[in-house]
Amino acid sequence: MKKNLKLIGNPVPRHDALAKAKGEQLYSDDWVMPNMLYGKVLRSKYPAAILRGIDTSKAEALPGVHAVLTAKDVPHNEDISKFGQMRDVGGGFEGLYKVLATGKIRSKSEAIALVAAETEELCEEACKLIEVDYEPTEGVYDPREALKDGAYLVSSEDASNRIMRSKIECGDIDAAWAQCDAIVEGDYFTTPHEHAYIETEGGMGWLDENGVITLRVGVQVLEHYRTVAKIMGLQHTKVRNMSVPMGGGFGGKEDITVETYLALLVTKTRRPVKMIWSREESLETHAKRHPEYLHYKTGATKDGKILAQEVSIVMDGGSYTYLTPWVQMYSTYAAAGPYNTPNVSIVSESAFTNNTFSSANRGFGGPQVNFAHERQMDKLAQKLGLSPVELRRRNLMHNGDPLPTGFIPQGHNALPELLEKVDKALNASPKPERLPDGRKVGRSIACAHTVYGRLTFMHDSSRVSIRLELDGSVTLRAGVPDLGGGQASSLCQIVAEELGLDITDVHPYIMDTHLTPLSGTTTATRQLYMSGNAALKCAGVMKGRLMETASGILGYPVSNLAMGDHKIYLVNDPAVNIPFVKAVANLSNDGGELETITQFNAPFTEVPDLSNIKGQLNPDLTYTCHGVEVAVDEETGEFEILRIIAAIDAGKMINKNSCEGQVEGGAIYHVFWPTHEDLKWEKGITRANSFSTYIMPTAADVPDVETIILESGGGLGPYGAKGVGEPSDNSIAPAVVNAIRDAIGTDLNLNLMPVTPEKILNAIRGVDMEH
Amino acid sequence: MNTKHIMKEYDYLKPSGLDEALQILSEKEKVKIYAGGTDLIVKLKMETVPDMDYMMDINGIEELKQVEYTDEGVRIGANRKLWDIETDQRMTSLFPALTDAVKAMAAISVRNLASIGGNFCNASPVADAVGPVMCYGGTLEIASARGVRKVPAKDFFLAPGVTVLEKDEMLTGIFIPTPKGDVGHAFTKMARTKSDIAKLSLCVALARDGGRIGHIAMSMGAVAARPLFLEEISAGLAGKEMSESLAMETGEAVSGFLQPIDDNRTTAVYRKDVTKTMVADALALAWARSGGA
Repeated sequence: MKKNLKLIGNPVPRHDALAKAKGEQLYSDDWVMPNMLYGKVLRSKYPAAILRGIDTSKAEALPGVHAVLTAKDVPHNEDISKFGQMRDVGGGFEGLYKVLATGKIRSKSEAIALVAAETEELCEEACKLIEVDYEPTEGVYDPREALKDGAYLVSSEDASNRIMRSKIECGDIDAAWAQCDAIVEGDYFTTPHEHAYIETEGGMGWLDENGVITLRVGVQVLEHYRTVAKIMGLQHTKVRNMSVPMGGGFGGKEDITVETYLALLVTKTRRPVKMIWSREESLETHAKRHPEYLHYKTGATKDGKILAQEVSIVMDGGSYTYLTPWVQMYSTYAAAGPYNTPNVSIVSESAFTNNTFSSANRGFGGPQVNFAHERQMDKLAQKLGLSPVELRRRNLMHNGDPLPTGFIPQGHNALPELLEKVDKALNASPKPERLPDGRKVGRSIACAHTVYGRLTFMHDSSRVSIRLELDGSVTLRAGVPDLGGGQASSLCQIVAEELGLDITDVHPYIMDTHLTPLSGTTTATRQLYMSGNAALKCAGVMKGRLMETASGILGYPVSNLAMGDHKIYLVNDPAVNIPFVKAVANLSNDGGELETITQFNAPFTEVPDLSNIKGQLNPDLTYTCHGVEVAVDEETGEFEILRIIAAIDAGKMINKNSCEGQVEGGAIYHVFWPTHEDLKWEKGITRANSFSTYIMPTAADVPDVETIILESGGGLGPYGAKGVGEPSDNSIAPAVVNAIRDAIGTDLNLNLMPVTPEKILNAIRGVDMEH
Repeated sequence: MNTKHIMKEYDYLKPSGLDEALQILSEKEKVKIYAGGTDLIVKLKMETVPDMDYMMDINGIEELKQVEYTDEGVRIGANRKLWDIETDQRMTSLFPALTDAVKAMAAISVRNLASIGGNFCNASPVADAVGPVMCYGGTLEIASARGVRKVPAKDFFLAPGVTVLEKDEMLTGIFIPTPKGDVGHAFTKMARTKSDIAKLSLCVALARDGGRIGHIAMSMGAVAARPLFLEEISAGLAGKEMSESLAMETGEAVSGFLQPIDDNRTTAVYRKDVTKTMVADALALAWARSGGA
């Protein structure tokens, strides 16, 4: 590894920081075009129904309305859900993607018709004039019910509501119980969780002068252009997404959003069309974190050695498959927690219901099981008479320890160190029983291991290109969707580091499906790992060419030269050098290649046997530990978060600002998930469909996050970096609830989310509200 | 419903003086007053404003934004912004329960826009600023082209969203008398998050008479169809010797008196339950602030 890093790890301003600070960044809704129309989706009135017919004649007759489309107008209304993968995985992982409704309506978010009109108001009126003949049906809203024989069938296309069943086993779980001195069992429920990005889904589409469907839509997955082409019956070359930076994604823009709708409307009207979802439409329509019903049974010896972990998980997939099987893999994979457990049985099932579909949300199946296994750990500690920290200390996985699938993670595992650091910080002073105002104090620490990089059987790859400009600056091109995490800027920092330049010398051109190399999705905490490595490799190729050129000029072998401060110089005598720009000029004069593209491939594995998953599923893991201190008012059940300590091994920070931002933001992202954030689903209807009813913390509700960032250098990313985006929100949720438990001294009512003050007050009084 | 835009069509009026505004109200039908817009615009987007042909923007009328202190008390213009009230040092020293209530409302961006008069005229049972004004014995100044009348704040509300205002009238000012004697005030609020509307709010304003309660007024928000002025229970406390048991008995009494409902923020049972502690604590706090032992 390179020793003297000049730029890497510094808190450098990103290339787009100023534009965003000044409000000059043009997001989806900021773009207008001459002669443009507005588009709108008519969605179902019922969560479950049979679609008997649609009469669009009145809507079409409304002056100013230019298109009213239904399923019959879609060239290919059905396809397989894709998420940018370069490999056909098959095997139950890829479900149906339907553009507009036919047959059974599966949820309230089901798109029935599309409208394009001169104004947004006309779109609203036109939607009201579309006459839909529904036959409402009972529907099913609980995945446990949906999996029973004779349950209401959610879809017209499948014979069962089951989406997938998977299993991981090791050791002999049945024999293990007899050796356990303490066993704790618990049922847990995790609520659907909203991403709550500031920018709702939307964008603009038009036909260019050559008939190419051109989109300007902010998405986490540029590769949806292939699905759009397939739906439209066009070649992949005839659909382009120029894309645009997003005002947040968090996984909610991993699924296709407005792209096909815009393609259909611009093709029909041959005019530019803009579609922006309202907040209510966004909240009711886009995927949520999977609600999970979990049962855990954990056993240990009296000296606190965990012997057995038995888990069953039922996931609510909602109306369509989308990413459910992939999320399920992550939940199943992580269910036993980051602890050495010789005997494990994990069975997971997912089912369709008539709820809004579930799919990716930051953490991707990890936080649900993390909530449950970390609740179990504190209960087990209580039963064994050990401190929760000590129980973790005795069982944490160390380097070289296998996961339940038998795979031994390759990157460094810093959890033992993280646990000690958080314990020291949280318990720097002894915990007071109460605050001076009488509230009880609780503290807790929770741990997590979270994967970064996509499932290895998807055969993930990324590409980045760079071009040397004749003035010594560098153009970087990468199909990296930037959702605000600084994904593109980090690549520039890597290239600048390698070429001995300033970050301002490297400018990124990003996220155009047909003008930038496809870098894959901004999901799975993969961009730094995948595209960062591709950028590093690409810079290395260019560096080699420049060093050869300089070697020819300076008369020293390449091995004696180095790059830095805009120069190529002799290591032993930096006065012997040539400017970077001169090396570029010579390379150009000699007909050398000033532009290059490189590809980085993740490890590849085969699709696992779902009935007995073994071996490697992901490239590596990032480890986190959260410490929380709360104060609980015993007379009201209200609690206040007093301290949050967020610790992570980032491997190596690339941009310190961005890294700390992720770690702080991740903690806040989930701090109120188990207690406040509640969509209030009632039989397929989202009652909390605005930010006045879906309650989230603001800066006034949370303390400053105290971050502890280790840099072990033990990651698979550039310079030993690990991914931090999703791991940052794991392990905070159970720390919050366990801290409340520590304060009030009971586990009553703390297992099924949301854990509200009302439930906490009853817990204090010994009233069970969960059974 | 699509909160991206306002579907209703209306005319926008912006009078530059109070007389002009009152003239508009007397001449035109279906006028809604725009002060901060933090309720009105939201309701328009949600299509819950049935009758509005005119939106009258009163932000061009300077006198409605003024605050004026005299020996008798303070007169706050109805369109004074919440931010200007909470940052007013004199207001805080005279009427701490009011500034505490205002600070407890929404987020700063909303408080920059929202007016105190709007908090009254929106007539939500949850309105935070209302309780302190009622408890301080505040009076509302209501004007129309016909003249001016004064209504005690506690008599202003009739039902959710409904006040005593006639169609040609508007709230122009709020008068609050200066508290006299050994006074102590407390405003407390329970909400899911800092910027959320209340699950419960409570105001206590008392004047101490040695070891006894002299005058006392209490009110609660989010427990009834309108902001609730606890007139009888408060009156029953006057002259009583203050004690911890009195505070707790009063909590029990208020809780027993309430008939709250379940809503999306909490339950009726929780409201009644927590009211006991909340009242006892606020009473003790106000007592301590009055200098009582």
